[in-house]
Amino acid sequence: MDIFNGLMLGFSTATTFGNFLYCFLGVLLGTAVGVLPGLGPIATISMLLPFTFGLPVDTALIMLAGIFYGSQYGGSTTAILMNLPGEASSVVTTLDGHEMAKQGKAGRALAAAAIGSFFAGTVGTLFIAIAAPLLAGLALTFGPAEYFSLIVLGLITSMVLASGSLLTALGMALFGMMLGMIGTDVNSGAARFTFGTPNLLDGLDFVVVATGVFGLGEVLANLENERSRSAGIAHVSSLFPTREDWKRMAAPILRGTGIGVLLGVLPGAGVLLASFSAYALEKKVSRHSAEFGKGAIEGVAAPEAANNAAAQTCFIPMLTLGLPGTATMALMIGALVVQGVQPGPEILTQQPALFWGLVVSMWLGNLMLLFLNLPLVGVWAKLISVPYHYLFPMICVFVAIGVYSINNSVFDIYMMALFGVLGYFFKKVGAEPAPLILAMILGPMAEEYLRRALLISHGDASVFFTSPLSLGTLIVAALLLLSIISPRFRKVREEGLQEVD
Amino acid sequence: MKIGQDSILGLFFAVTGCVALWIAIQYPFGTAGRMGPGYFPVIISSLLIVTGICVVIRSISTSGDAFPAINLKALFMVPAAVVVFGLAIEPLGFLPAVLLLLVLSAATSVKFRFDWKASVGALVFSGLCTVLFVKLIGLPIPVLGTWLQ
Repeated sequence: MDIFNGLMLGFSTATTFGNFLYCFLGVLLGTAVGVLPGLGPIATISMLLPFTFGLPVDTALIMLAGIFYGSQYGGSTTAILMNLPGEASSVVTTLDGHEMAKQGKAGRALAAAAIGSFFAGTVGTLFIAIAAPLLAGLALTFGPAEYFSLIVLGLITSMVLASGSLLTALGMALFGMMLGMIGTDVNSGAARFTFGTPNLLDGLDFVVVATGVFGLGEVLANLENERSRSAGIAHVSSLFPTREDWKRMAAPILRGTGIGVLLGVLPGAGVLLASFSAYALEKKVSRHSAEFGKGAIEGVAAPEAANNAAAQTCFIPMLTLGLPGTATMALMIGALVVQGVQPGPEILTQQPALFWGLVVSMWLGNLMLLFLNLPLVGVWAKLISVPYHYLFPMICVFVAIGVYSINNSVFDIYMMALFGVLGYFFKKVGAEPAPLILAMILGPMAEEYLRRALLISHGDASVFFTSPLSLGTLIVAALLLLSIISPRFRKVREEGLQEVD
Repeated sequence: MKIGQDSILGLFFAVTGCVALWIAIQYPFGTAGRMGPGYFPVIISSLLIVTGICVVIRSISTSGDAFPAINLKALFMVPAAVVVFGLAIEPLGFLPAVLLLLVLSAATSVKFRFDWKASVGALVFSGLCTVLFVKLIGLPIPVLGTWLQ
């Protein structure tokens, strides 16, 4: 099917009344939860997951995607108005965005973010429509060795981009792989690490772990500095960028979009890398580079565009290869599996309406965001200012209901409580949980592909180096690891990944 | 010696790795060409032990950040409230379980006051949740459980 027919099919799927409505609901709810301080996309998606149960598969996926980029945009709003990034990739937005807000230009900063995001979202969607079918075609030629190497690359990228030391990130990834092994071994049928309980035979539910670590763990950590939480929210004035603003942000948006589109496809932490690189690039090339960090509109528009472009294109490896590039995409795969869909190269040919419907709804969702966020910014500002002692019990209720509703299993609730405590522990010792979450879903895939690759080659490990694609992927992974030893890159990484909590 | 963040994390990795390895060696290992269910777990848990030991060694050789103070009240109360929700949802039903979780977790906050406004708020919120999740979304959870019917 060519792109034009695909897009037509997508339009007819995405614009049915139900799908359109749920896309809107997803974007609205995603933004509403995403603006709440301390709730990033992962916590937002896992909290809102029950809303997609009982919906047809395409509607559910469209709504989930809406929730995802709604929460991304909500996070930027909080970053600008309150200097509180909901997740690592909106850290950059706080630098100049909040500075602009302090100067009374909050409205213009929000508009720059929204316009940049919309433009980048449009380009990102087009890129998916062109690149995804190509990659899916290519993916059909991939053997287990290629898949294994891609997984290794994804894991290494996520470790290199995690804040804190590489060794800690490696430990977290290995621990995540151990968690992924719990349950029945697909190949031999042996029950592994189940501690004799039948509740673990199907494995530890990925969504349960993510909700515990990111939802409940975050609540526990936030309760710590409850007294010192100051709710200083910038006042929102005029939302219209001036002619000067337009002139200054046009080129940065274009460059940010380009960076975001390309980096989003990378396995690992594409979204994060995109916003940091876009900011760094603008700081280098801008004529106003002295203003960076003091409220330069380029410093808001470029990373926001990159962020959103990457948020769109990171769907490509998830949908076409079945390999999640980021922890959020890993959660999306978890949600799709709950719906009975296994993402992979066949999704385009077997469920074209699902794929193209999603692509078109992404663009519609971005359009909705533009028209939803700017007029409703007063409402979002009100939501942000809800005191935390009202908010966190409700968060607890939503995550508990969300987790229970996946399997109607009380055991999952206890597991979530356990992983909430673990998430708090990881925060305390300064270990970022993103590699753990990604490794938990990539670990079992890695095992399966390793087994298949070695079965075909009769135990000869050189198979990973004889296929050019696999070799190339492993070389990129090795270069990434080496680059961290280089002092110059190390410095950039430390600056870029400074956690703002 | 101060107990640093790193030494605790390293110990956590190493101990988890040891337990996992001890369990994993009981599964058939197989060969590289025919990996048994124990093959991958043994490799990963061994790597986890090595990583843990490296983290501990690093913590001894460098002066890292000390382990920060923990908010024991929140750490105990909030997960406990979630466990109570789990215990309550089947025998008591959706509405009482949500109410219990709401009140118990809210009690963790230093700003918690038990007055009529908060009580009405909790009741209204639990009611709204019940309508939303059970009636509108249609989650198959009884509003009142077996004990209350």
